[in-house]
Amino acid sequence: MADREVDQQLVERVQRGDKHAFDLLVSKYQRKLGRLISRFVRDPAEAEDVTQEAFIKAYRAVPGFRGESAFYTWLYRIGINTAKNHLLANKRRPPTSTPFDADESESFEEASLLREVNTPENELMSKQVVDVVQSSLQQLPEDLRSALTLREIEGLSYEEIASVMNCPIGTVRSRIFRAREAVAENLRPLLETSKGNRW
Amino acid sequence: MKHEISTLMDGELFEDDADRLFDRINRSPGARMDWEIYHLIGDVLRQPEHIHCGLSAKVRERMHDEPTVLAPRSHAVKRKIHTIALSAAASLAAVGVVTWMSQQISFEAMPQVAMQQKALRQASMQIQPKSNEYLMAHQEFSPSTDMNGGASYIRMVSYNPEGK
Repeated sequence: MADREVDQQLVERVQRGDKHAFDLLVSKYQRKLGRLISRFVRDPAEAEDVTQEAFIKAYRAVPGFRGESAFYTWLYRIGINTAKNHLLANKRRPPTSTPFDADESESFEEASLLREVNTPENELMSKQVVDVVQSSLQQLPEDLRSALTLREIEGLSYEEIASVMNCPIGTVRSRIFRAREAVAENLRPLLETSKGNRW
Repeated sequence: MKHEISTLMDGELFEDDADRLFDRINRSPGARMDWEIYHLIGDVLRQPEHIHCGLSAKVRERMHDEPTVLAPRSHAVKRKIHTIALSAAASLAAVGVVTWMSQQISFEAMPQVAMQQKALRQASMQIQPKSNEYLMAHQEFSPSTDMNGGASYIRMVSYNPEGK
């Protein structure tokens, strides 16, 4: 079951009235969508509001989602439209007139113009989270670190990782889980201290 | 469950297992937190410069005020029904064609069968006068029905209470 199918399954649950399923989609895509919207709406507080609005619009529109495109592609369009409407409502021009699609969005970098802006409080929290994740990763045994990196950064499937690391798929599954859980163990105390600031 | 969540988010779990796991995640706030943290780790590893405060709690609060959305019927279910209807129609068509073809064959074969039956009837009429006497003589041994076949093994008795 590919990643797109996981999303499709969650969407179908939302269409059957399961709000928790939408919550899982929000958890999964909040940073990706927030990053996209912050390229249009540079004020961090506004960008956050627009991202929330985009998710709510997506939730209301879910009954009409037919699964013809990937869920994120669909969410991406809603995000772009919400951001543009927000700027138009505030009589501001969007930062770019050239449309770019969801696949290009990850590589779309115009640092000076579209640099993400964050509040000082969030900036500090973000830095701490990044530090904890990176230091935890460095402390992992080599085989766990490689498995997690190949999965999360290179985007390889378990089968491909098994081939690269010359081990059974079950071992890959176990290594990735153990790596994630080791990093998560170090993150949990930090996240619990930031009450109401769920990640 | 954490192990399964990790496998699920990598898209390496079977559909049925995933569906059951989503049910379990729904019932467990801890499992939802694990899902959230594992995704955060992935985002940090991919783009550490773009990590900002999460929105899910705020979106969740706003979702409380939203009425539950319901699709009239899932598009996937509609597709499945469409596929089933098409295969049922194809099966019916196939059955219809086979029935029609068998009828065509039987109509062609009918004159031959009628001729064979006529010949058999003539032969039996020739045999009948000779066999009637034999059949009458051995009627009680004839197993033509279950009762007649069993009649030879039944002894008739009578009982008269006054004749004690």
